[in-house]
This record gives sequence, C-alpha cells and structure tokens, in this order.
Amino acid sequence: MEEIFNPRVLFYLFSVPVTRTTVSTWVVMAFLVLLSFLLTRRMSFVPGRLQNVLELFVEAVINLIEGMSPGNGRKFLPLVGALALFIGTANLAHLVPGLKAPTSDFNTAFGLALVVFFAVPFYGIATRGLKNYFKEYISPSPILLPFHIISEITRTFSLALRLFGNILGEEIIIGILFLLAPLVVPVPMMLFSIFSGVIQAYIFTILTVVYLSSAVEVSKH
Amino acid sequence: MQGEILFLCVTVFTAGFAIAVGVIFPALGQGKACAQALESIARQPEATGPISRTLFVGLAMLESLAIYVLVISLILLFANPLLRYVFR
Repeated sequence: MEEIFNPRVLFYLFSVPVTRTTVSTWVVMAFLVLLSFLLTRRMSFVPGRLQNVLELFVEAVINLIEGMSPGNGRKFLPLVGALALFIGTANLAHLVPGLKAPTSDFNTAFGLALVVFFAVPFYGIATRGLKNYFKEYISPSPILLPFHIISEITRTFSLALRLFGNILGEEIIIGILFLLAPLVVPVPMMLFSIFSGVIQAYIFTILTVVYLSSAVEVSKH
Repeated sequence: MQGEILFLCVTVFTAGFAIAVGVIFPALGQGKACAQALESIARQPEATGPISRTLFVGLAMLESLAIYVLVISLILLFANPLLRYVFR
C-alpha cells in the first residue's frame, strides 16, 4: 500500500531511478513491438487469421475518427491508433503477475496527456496555417485569450488525472480485496478492471480525436 | 500528542466525507445523462451509434469530477504533504 503514489524503485540506471512502472512500460512496449512484428512479417493481400485481427483494429480506429471528424481518418491514424493500443495494453498490464499498470503512475498518464497537448497545435498549424490557428485563440474577442489558454491546460490535466485516477482506483480496490480474501474474491473485480481499462483507453482515444478535430476544423464565424 | 491525533482524525474524516459528497453529485449527473440517452435511443434506435459515442464523452467528463475527489482523498490519506509539519 505504501507504493500507491511512489512506485518502488527497482534499480538505478546511470543514477536514474527505474521504478516498477517503468519496467512494466518496457514489457508492454516489447509485447506490442513483438506482436506487431510477428503479425506483419508475412503480410499478404488476402489476410490470414492473425493479420485480420490487426486490420480489424486499424479499420475500427479509422471509422472512429471518421465518425467524429470526417476526412481525417488517415491523418490522425498514427497518433490515435498508437495511443489506443498503448493505453489499452498498459491498462491491462496489472493482470500479469509482477507487473504494475504503467498508467497507474501519474508520470505515465501525464506524459500521454502531454503528447496530446502538443499534437493539437501541431495538427492545427499543419492543416490551417500558423496565422489561422492562432487567430482562433482571440476569435470572438481578445479578452477570451486567457480562457482559451486555461482551457488548453486544464483539459490536459483532466485527461491525465482521469486515466490515472481510474486505473489507480481499480488497482487499490483489487489490492484491498487481495489483502482481505486472497483466494477467489478479487477475481470478479479483476474481470471488471478489464472492462474499465478498455473503456478508459476508449475514452482517452475519443477525447483525443475530439480535441484534434476541434483544432483542425475551419471555424464558421 | 493531542494535536497530532486530532490532525489524523480530521484528515481521515475529511477524506471519507469528500468521497461521500463528491461521488453523490457526479452520480446524479451520470444517471440523468444515461436516462436521457436511453430515452432517445428508445425513440430513435437507428441513432444508437452517435448517441452512445457522445454519451461516453459526456460520462467521461462527468466522471473526471469524481476522480478529482478520489485523487484528493488518496493524497490526504497516503501522501499528505502537511504531515511533515505535524510530525517533525
């Protein structure tokens, strides 16, 4: 219980502390890289069974983006798909014994939110140009400039805190149940944590798409 | 010693009270949102996709309010920054 906010430091790499969540992130990364390498090694035009799974995922992400911001499916796919895959896998990592979900560390969650924070102006400037994008900040009148900036910052924090709080809450509940009755009792909660982990990954993805599409679309007024 | 015990009691009470109050109102809001979404899905079953997608975004926004409370009470319980001033 004492490692709720500060995950245990396992070892020091060149005097940089490496925590349990960092190692879990490496495991998740290795798993994803290995999986996608093995599944795309012999790609064929007519997909096999395993290749079909990946194509299903890619098409689902494209359809999700097209539903919220039509015409941008291919453009947002690398960022949004990577976020969805990584967060989805990372939220489920605590089901593997010995691993701790990387997203239950606030540093990981805030890092992911920072990616979105920087991707929004990147895509906005790339599609609409520097001048048009920053004109949005003073759009009805320049008085609203601080509020636009504050909303950019607070939504980054809310994105990070939502992911972090949900996954950490699940982990704490499972941990407490494990302390009280370790045999079968935590299993239903662990099954529920699969559901909520996938839902959280979905919500993070969909909010990313909402923010990106609001930056890219040309304003009407 | 009296002061320290009082501090711990107030901390634990505040954490519990914050969770209790901070969960009620997001729960009411989420219930209202779900009820409305169900009603509109029942009226227009062909609009299930967009409605449920918007519902998820809205529920996430509402849920983050409860999560803020959870994070604050977890900080109060497990990583209270004021503890080192009380227990020197």
